[in-house]
Amino acid sequence: MALFSLTPFLSLAVFGLLATPAGFLRFKKSKLGFAPFVCILGLAIALVSTVWLGFTSSAPVSFGGFQVDLFTLFFSGVLLIVAIFVTIASLQYMREDPNKGPFFGLLLLSTLGMIVLAASMDLILLYVGWELMSIPTYALTAFRKKDPNSNEAAMKFFVLSALSSALLVYAISLVFGITGSTGLTAIASSLSTAGPDVRPFGVLAIVLFIVGFGVKMAVVPFHMWIPDAFEGAPVTIGAFLAAGAKMAAFAAAFRVFIVGISAFNVDFYSTFAIVAVVTMSVGNVAALMQKSFTRLLAYSSIAQAGYILMALATPFTTTNVPLGLAGGLFHVLNYAILKTAAFVAAAAVATKLSITDLDSFNGLSRRMPQTSLSIAVIFLGLAGVPPLNGFFSKVMLFTGSIYSPYTWGGYLALAALINSGFSMSYYGWLIKRMYFDEPQDQSRIAEPRVYMAVLWAATILIFAIGIYPDPWIRLAQSAAAALVGSRGL
Amino acid sequence: MIGLLSIAIFLPAVLAAPTFLLGRKNPKMAKILGVGTTAIVFAISILILVVFQYGQAGFQLSESAPWAGSFGLNYKVGIDGISLPLLMIATFLSLLSAAGSWDQITFRHAEYYALFLIFETGIIGVFTSLNLILFYLFWEIVLIPMFFFIGIWGGPRRRYASLKFLIFTYSGSAVMLFGFLALYAWTGTSAYPGGPSFDYDVLAVRIPNLALPLQLAVAVTTFVGFAVKLPIFPLHTWLPDAHVEAPAPVSVLLAGLLLKMGGYGLIRYNLLLFPKAVSVLWPYFTTIGLITMIYGASVALVAKDIKRMIALTSVNHMGYVLLGAFTATVAGVSGAVFQMFSHGLAIGMLFLMSGYIHEHTGTRNIDELKGLRGKMPQTVSLLFLASMAAMAVPGFANFISEYLVIQGALSVSYLFAIAIVAPALTVGYFLWMLRRVAMTPPVGPKNELHLHSILILVAFLVPLLIFGVYPPPILGSVIAPTVEKWVGTIVGLGAR
Repeated sequence: MALFSLTPFLSLAVFGLLATPAGFLRFKKSKLGFAPFVCILGLAIALVSTVWLGFTSSAPVSFGGFQVDLFTLFFSGVLLIVAIFVTIASLQYMREDPNKGPFFGLLLLSTLGMIVLAASMDLILLYVGWELMSIPTYALTAFRKKDPNSNEAAMKFFVLSALSSALLVYAISLVFGITGSTGLTAIASSLSTAGPDVRPFGVLAIVLFIVGFGVKMAVVPFHMWIPDAFEGAPVTIGAFLAAGAKMAAFAAAFRVFIVGISAFNVDFYSTFAIVAVVTMSVGNVAALMQKSFTRLLAYSSIAQAGYILMALATPFTTTNVPLGLAGGLFHVLNYAILKTAAFVAAAAVATKLSITDLDSFNGLSRRMPQTSLSIAVIFLGLAGVPPLNGFFSKVMLFTGSIYSPYTWGGYLALAALINSGFSMSYYGWLIKRMYFDEPQDQSRIAEPRVYMAVLWAATILIFAIGIYPDPWIRLAQSAAAALVGSRGL
Repeated sequence: MIGLLSIAIFLPAVLAAPTFLLGRKNPKMAKILGVGTTAIVFAISILILVVFQYGQAGFQLSESAPWAGSFGLNYKVGIDGISLPLLMIATFLSLLSAAGSWDQITFRHAEYYALFLIFETGIIGVFTSLNLILFYLFWEIVLIPMFFFIGIWGGPRRRYASLKFLIFTYSGSAVMLFGFLALYAWTGTSAYPGGPSFDYDVLAVRIPNLALPLQLAVAVTTFVGFAVKLPIFPLHTWLPDAHVEAPAPVSVLLAGLLLKMGGYGLIRYNLLLFPKAVSVLWPYFTTIGLITMIYGASVALVAKDIKRMIALTSVNHMGYVLLGAFTATVAGVSGAVFQMFSHGLAIGMLFLMSGYIHEHTGTRNIDELKGLRGKMPQTVSLLFLASMAAMAVPGFANFISEYLVIQGALSVSYLFAIAIVAPALTVGYFLWMLRRVAMTPPVGPKNELHLHSILILVAFLVPLLIFGVYPPPILGSVIAPTVEKWVGTIVGLGAR
């Protein structure tokens, strides 16, 4: 039954629409409405069906421009894990907020937009997914409507995002003009025979695609909104933006560039390589200078986007194995887990200390030992220390670069490794603050159980993937193979 | 089937969890579990000594299992004549250092011993793994506990020292990782049937066919990683800070084992894997080794803190390893391996002693320690013996190893006669230190170490003296066969 492969999408759509009205229903005496539970139920059904589909379906199921293959299911799984972590953490973080219905409803609809992006093989559908993902996130960023920081962040985010959407539409129309189609496979076959007269338009379309996706992926120089948005938005929404929306933008970029544009005889690979190096370097250097935890996370997430971009710069090895691509997808998974957990830890600190200034992290290990331990593990994972999950995906990405047919591949990997080594300075610095410095206030802080549940689940995942990465690498490899395979359909 | 090596590697990490959980309420339990585990692991390593087939060159007790086969990663461990001596000092020094921590570590015991055991897993893993990524994994596992050891249990400047240590060594290893990944990619082309691999034995066959520029790139990048750990002259600045700020038992691990990781890596990977590159690079590497030897000795001469002096001794002595290894002669390489073994024991004893002296007198300043003979007569006699070992007085294993290194160097070029300056300077600063500390009129009152502390210190001396007087069991039947086999394969240098 091909229709079963739509279960994740339908579940999110149905429960997303139900969640908002469910917010008005309450348990007796409890502040928690039904909305979060509707939300969790919808996400759980979607995740279970995604996993089930991943194990049972062999051939991709296609509905015109809408394709459910292992690549779609991979991203669907990653994004749903992020959404579930964010929802559970928001149970605590939004406890006092009266508007739970819209919050959780928007969260689900945005998640739906993200996985539609991963499924789209048609540029129009891609744009629909893009907007379905983006519009709820503007509202979510501005959710504290009386907080000027939240509003400012949302405004900045909205303007840049709207610009990126506009550029995407322009890119799509240019591609349509050249090829007469919006389907990615049709575009690919048309571009492979494109003559020199359309070449300038094709290059312009590629540039516009890079900029359009780049704003959401937060690559330098389109990264300016990220630190403000992460700082102003509710902290759990920061996680959703950093690990959800950003990764969904990568899903879209992978689809468009690997399936569609790679057929065009234009070297966009070296462009991505330069953007990747600049992005990771700027992210890492700027992260060192931050004074607030969420801003530090924002710049570290920019740096990580640089690493994932390497998958677009050097997707294939000389033996035509999609090693870099698989490494990129694996890093998407690892980064999503690490970053969500980092923001949940930030939420735990913000809830209890009402400030996420870096000085408030001094001696935190005495006050919040569980949170500190998980932050230490997450940061070492982000820095790429084995045996944590971030290490293996970085190894695959960097190996993919050296192994690529381009002569600059080795330099790209060396730049990334030096960056990776440098990033330890700020990750290590925060661990030093938490474990070696003396706290101003010695009192022990009770750590909220909801956050701890998420943090422990994430920490166990971080170790589990790191110690036995084999099944996860296979997963990423088959997702990469599915993406490459979707070119030929 | 889990073999002896795997048990030795993973037993400490597995027991780290109960050590932490049971030790939180009961510090004594943490001590017992920590020291007990290191003792069991030492017993296992004795068993390995029994099973090891002497006089053979290949890898023994090898174990292999798929780990992340989808990416060519295998779990592969094994030991040969180069790793066995280092494995032995790893388990031996871990035991002695854990025992020395009994008195010298005074708070947060559960965390300390749990991290200690994770460290031991890492260090044993480094000396036994035969897959590049597995090696890197253990290499980094060593780093994190050490960062916390220095940062939590260290001296007044511990925060600065720990972060400096972490950033230096982590950046070094990131550059080293480039070399490993490049090997995988460059020997994974269609010219090499069988697909890309991180396995040591596969790479050892493939690399000699690799083009010289590529070999040079890998040799130089991996050299950077190993050299930071060793350390060599311009990259050594983390070492005095880390060694001085670390608590004394941790300094034992740092100087005795962590530096050896660099030396082991240089020999196992840099020297033995890249024959063509070595034949080009050896003059530079040996010169760096020579400079490091003399520089370390000169700086140690002016150190005022006894612990700082001992720390700089390491820079001095690890230079011999670099010099000996890249002479690529049987004598030089055997000397380098033996030097790591004997230096680990001598420096471990000196560091632990500096910790005890500090604990009993409240100072580490050499000038303030005048007349120590009155307070701690037995310790002072042990200090004499340990200094004699570090000065490489004949009768101690250090003499044999330094002699071999210099012999190897001289057989390559007479210019290496400059190396003789280093032992002269070493003797100079040790004797000057002893003259100020030990040969001054005794000052009372007596405040001697406990018997168990003295016994721990004496334990370091036993192998030093045995192998100093009669080295063949370790040099002739363990180190030499392996070195002869490998050095023979180094193109263009093999004839020496």
